[in-house]
Amino acid sequence: MNMLNLTRPTADIRTTDRRLLTRLWRHGSGRAGLLIGLALIIFAILGAFWTPHAPDVPDYLEALQPPSLDNPFGTDATGRDLLSRTMDGAHRSIGAAGLVLGAVFLIGLAIGCLAGLAGGVTDALLMRLTDIAMTLPGLVLAFAVLGLLGPGFVNLLIALIIADWAWYARLSRSLALSAGKKPHVIAAQMAGIPRWRIISGHILPGVALQVGIVASLALGGMIGAISGFSFLGLGVQPPHAEWGALLAESRLYFSLAPWLLIAPAGLIFLSVLSANLVGNALRDIAATGDGE
Amino acid sequence: MGHGSEQVISRIKQLRRGGLFAAAFSRIAQALITAFAATVIVWALLPLTPGDVATRVLLARGVDHPTAAEIAATREELGLNNPLHIQFFDWVGQVLQGDLGQSFTSRAPVTREIMERLPATVMLLGMALVFSAVLSLLFALIAAGYRDRWPDRLIQIYTQIGAALPTFVFALLALTFVVVGFQMGQVLADATWKAALIPAFIIGLDRAASWTQLLRAGLLDAMASGYANVSRARGASERRILIRHALPNAFLPFLTAIGISVGALIGGAPLIEAIFTWPGLGAFLLEALSARNYPVIQAYVLIAALSYVSAALLIDLIAILIDPRLRQQAS
Repeated sequence: MNMLNLTRPTADIRTTDRRLLTRLWRHGSGRAGLLIGLALIIFAILGAFWTPHAPDVPDYLEALQPPSLDNPFGTDATGRDLLSRTMDGAHRSIGAAGLVLGAVFLIGLAIGCLAGLAGGVTDALLMRLTDIAMTLPGLVLAFAVLGLLGPGFVNLLIALIIADWAWYARLSRSLALSAGKKPHVIAAQMAGIPRWRIISGHILPGVALQVGIVASLALGGMIGAISGFSFLGLGVQPPHAEWGALLAESRLYFSLAPWLLIAPAGLIFLSVLSANLVGNALRDIAATGDGE
Repeated sequence: MGHGSEQVISRIKQLRRGGLFAAAFSRIAQALITAFAATVIVWALLPLTPGDVATRVLLARGVDHPTAAEIAATREELGLNNPLHIQFFDWVGQVLQGDLGQSFTSRAPVTREIMERLPATVMLLGMALVFSAVLSLLFALIAAGYRDRWPDRLIQIYTQIGAALPTFVFALLALTFVVVGFQMGQVLADATWKAALIPAFIIGLDRAASWTQLLRAGLLDAMASGYANVSRARGASERRILIRHALPNAFLPFLTAIGISVGALIGGAPLIEAIFTWPGLGAFLLEALSARNYPVIQAYVLIAALSYVSAALLIDLIAILIDPRLRQQAS
């Protein structure tokens, strides 16, 4: 796919009823995507608390060992167990992507709904703001912000949030606008229900759910983006493990120990694959009315 | 799937409004506004940077311990005491004359340093773009022509894998296990077109995956449409329907998707160049980022933004030109 550009899933978010998860589960590729995603999240949570070996402690006698029972992914140039390092890196990769997407989800939802529901000058001003934020390609903007702030993990997260929020604001705005025209909202208006209750009770939950689906499907691509920046040394700093940083470390020894690339690359691949599979299933469900 | 398909659709809808010239004109005006906005953002980078600009410039000129008088003189010389809008227009004037300032590290003019590296990047990305367009066209036609048979299945597996591997990961794996493993080419690249072939092919092969998915879906939609059935009833062969009817109709979203993903290609250049040790602009940006060499970062962002805007404009103008529906509306 795109080189680590801030990836937007082509999710079809027309279907958002309560049976969505059931339908996804009944859809072949939806189930596969959900299972892979669940496995990765368990892997990350487990890795945050327990790893088979200490992820950051070198053991030079064990350097660059090929995969074995004790070290299923092999060991790196300073003898650290790669399985432990990928497990430790998992919560950083997935957690960082989750943080960025959580932030752009909240910022986008707030600004988008405010613009869509307030209308008028507020709307025009906020939308020009998103226009400006979307002038530069996301990655170029992220590089520019990193250039201002300097490399580093927190700065990378800030850069990605700045590069990505506007898209979610646009999406939320258009969803809020169309939600405002739905029959149940108009009915509520005619029944004389106060505007703040219509917004908080009838418009926001639906819009939040739809934007939330899109944001969670962007998780895989965001993991790819963060690993790309960390690969360049602009994100997670050593000795901390992160999948992209692990790729960069492993790359130095590719002629001696090419297997070191497989595990981090495979985990990034699985994250994006999981999101793509669920995205495909969503599209099928929306197109056919159900997942069969 | 770089950007949602809804983005592609909204752009096409936007293009269909109005006639040929009206559409082309509004698109050019829009591109100019975008370019202007991008320029303002890029310009704002330097005043926003931490530390005093005059001091940084003096350091770049070799004055290690500038006195207050020297700083004040430099502030005056750089026009930093002028109001911001005057500073902006002065800066735009300089840029239009090809002056992007002086590098903080090498003390050389940034324009010259950028121009030395730009051709390598343009060559690599350009070749990658051509490869991915040709490959995705080929794969999508084969997949749609052999729908649900083994060539289609094989291509679908490829597109799933390609779409799930970020380009830099795919490039890293291909370089390590195929190119180096089978000793297919030099790893340390010099910026010749021969050295660019393998990297460009690898990037193209990865990016072609999501474009193939898009074009295949478009072709299959068109093959199932009313006009395709009419042609079938009149005895046209499936191949003829695919090439003559489905392809032109599915081509527009494909072209628009290419235009949108040019931005991703430009933004991904630093990663790609790092993997192939390619001596281009992206690698130069990375040096500048670690040295906090702001004039270079600024120049990179400006060039990236302007090439993105012009590429998107070019693609949209082509789309306006080849879509006959526009001409009908105009008449």
